[in-house]
Amino acid sequence: MFIGSTEISVEDVFRSFTGNGTPLTQTLVLELRLPRALAAFACGAMLSIAGVLMQVLLRNPLADPYVLGVSGGASLAALTIMLLGLDIIFITSGAFAGALLSIFMVFVFAHGKGGWTVSRLLLTGIVMASGWMAIISFVLVIAPPDKIHGMLFWLMGDLSYDRPISLAYVILIVGFVLTLPLSRQLNVMIWGDKQAGSLGVNVSRLRLQIFFISSLLTAGAVSLAGGIGFVGLVVPHFVRLLVGNEHRILIPASALAGGILVVLADTLARSVMAPQQIPVGIITALIGVPLFLYLLRRSH
Amino acid sequence: MAITVNQLTLEIGTTSVCRDLSVEFKAGQFWAILGVNGVGKSTFLHQLINTKSPQSRCISVNDIGLSRYKNRQKSLAKISGLLLQEYEYNFPCSVLEAALIGRHPHMSNWQWESDEDIRIAEEALKATALYDLKDRNIKTLSGGEKRRLNLATVLTQNPQYFLLDEPTNHLDLKSQITILKLLSHKITRKNKTGIMVIHDANLAYQYCDHVLLFYGNGEWDAGKTQELITVENLRRVYDCNFQVMHNRHTSVFVPYQEGKEDSNESNKEDSKEDSK
Repeated sequence: MFIGSTEISVEDVFRSFTGNGTPLTQTLVLELRLPRALAAFACGAMLSIAGVLMQVLLRNPLADPYVLGVSGGASLAALTIMLLGLDIIFITSGAFAGALLSIFMVFVFAHGKGGWTVSRLLLTGIVMASGWMAIISFVLVIAPPDKIHGMLFWLMGDLSYDRPISLAYVILIVGFVLTLPLSRQLNVMIWGDKQAGSLGVNVSRLRLQIFFISSLLTAGAVSLAGGIGFVGLVVPHFVRLLVGNEHRILIPASALAGGILVVLADTLARSVMAPQQIPVGIITALIGVPLFLYLLRRSH
Repeated sequence: MAITVNQLTLEIGTTSVCRDLSVEFKAGQFWAILGVNGVGKSTFLHQLINTKSPQSRCISVNDIGLSRYKNRQKSLAKISGLLLQEYEYNFPCSVLEAALIGRHPHMSNWQWESDEDIRIAEEALKATALYDLKDRNIKTLSGGEKRRLNLATVLTQNPQYFLLDEPTNHLDLKSQITILKLLSHKITRKNKTGIMVIHDANLAYQYCDHVLLFYGNGEWDAGKTQELITVENLRRVYDCNFQVMHNRHTSVFVPYQEGKEDSNESNKEDSKEDSK
């Protein structure tokens, strides 16, 4: 709230909230920085919960929300709409529709006659993701130069312009509320389908629930801010190391940590090179990559 | 109280596991399932609690048809515990935490592990000689320690029916005996039921009062250990010759290869290792 291309003191921010600030700071704080911080928080929280779920679904503590190609479908739709030059609201809703389409396609292809296996789901997702990537590259090649900048920003994850955040919060809250009651079963699910099944978990149903909730949350995050990387990978992994495998704690803690991380990253994104803004995805990757490499080394 | 199997016919692909198998696993009985690799022992064991397969209509648990547990998986898990042949260890976690997941079927969604749950898990860890390792990360355990932990999880679950898929895998000789003694004690004293897949006919002979033999091609035999574990039946099961030796406490069945001319290099190597 305080940091940015225009420095605003703590006092002035507080005044803006109570309605006593100058018109300029009031606009800056309430109409630009507050919605942006809220969007950043929602993104981080959604990606982190999706990351926890994806790790359980693929039974790999190093899985991330994008691994099944959800962001690819969203990005392609968003870029296509940008190419057509439509309004931001279309970009957001288009990205959401693209994500849902991608989820549905992965689901149909992975859910064959023999049911699901982790490797089959993973392979389907990865192949879909690379397919999307090819078409995205094609769109970037044919796009007029004046639109490339915006497209690249979107691909790298960007919170810089005004977006409808209410939908994101609806998805975040719905996702969170649906996940919490499953958390006890998630504790058992990390031991594998057979073990979970023998302890009374309805494995096929739980798998579907995890798949759809995590996909929905990822779709929400991607359509709000593009492809912010590493949050959904690093935050759940890090929080798991701190609080353990009790998902009733892990999920709220990851949501909180992820939300805060993206708010901080976005603050850096708009202030380090101010007034020039950089995509928040670059910052999260710059924090995430070294942190991840460190965690990987430590786990060996 | 029993798991009742009535006229069960089971197939894996084109191979027949059993045809028209009827058997009753009653309280207080400790069953061993013997058969060669791939004959369908594990498939049969898993079938006993698989509520979704079409064969579930041939099975009932405590006089209730298995398929009727379909939407009450947890109530089935309260009474039947399954020790798998192999486990996945993907996420770091402590030994005590790992044992505690056995309490899952006994707890509601929002319930937290009580002192009583922790006490049950600690008892199980003591019984399997893992209590001193309870705070260790499971990834640092040896193969045999992991196996005892798997068993501790089932003991923590504390079911009426213990379905055990090769519980003595990875265990040293002393642990094999300790674990089987522990199970047989639990089954006879607490009136539980044990159904165990095992490859050691001698351990089965010593600790189990009943056996289920799979001969292959869908043929089977079920009944009292004393009557069924014989040199003839073992030959039929394993397709090799057995010699029986008696001592003061028990009888021991030793497999041997007939006709040294027939045996190739690798068989000789094997028998050398056996004799060590």
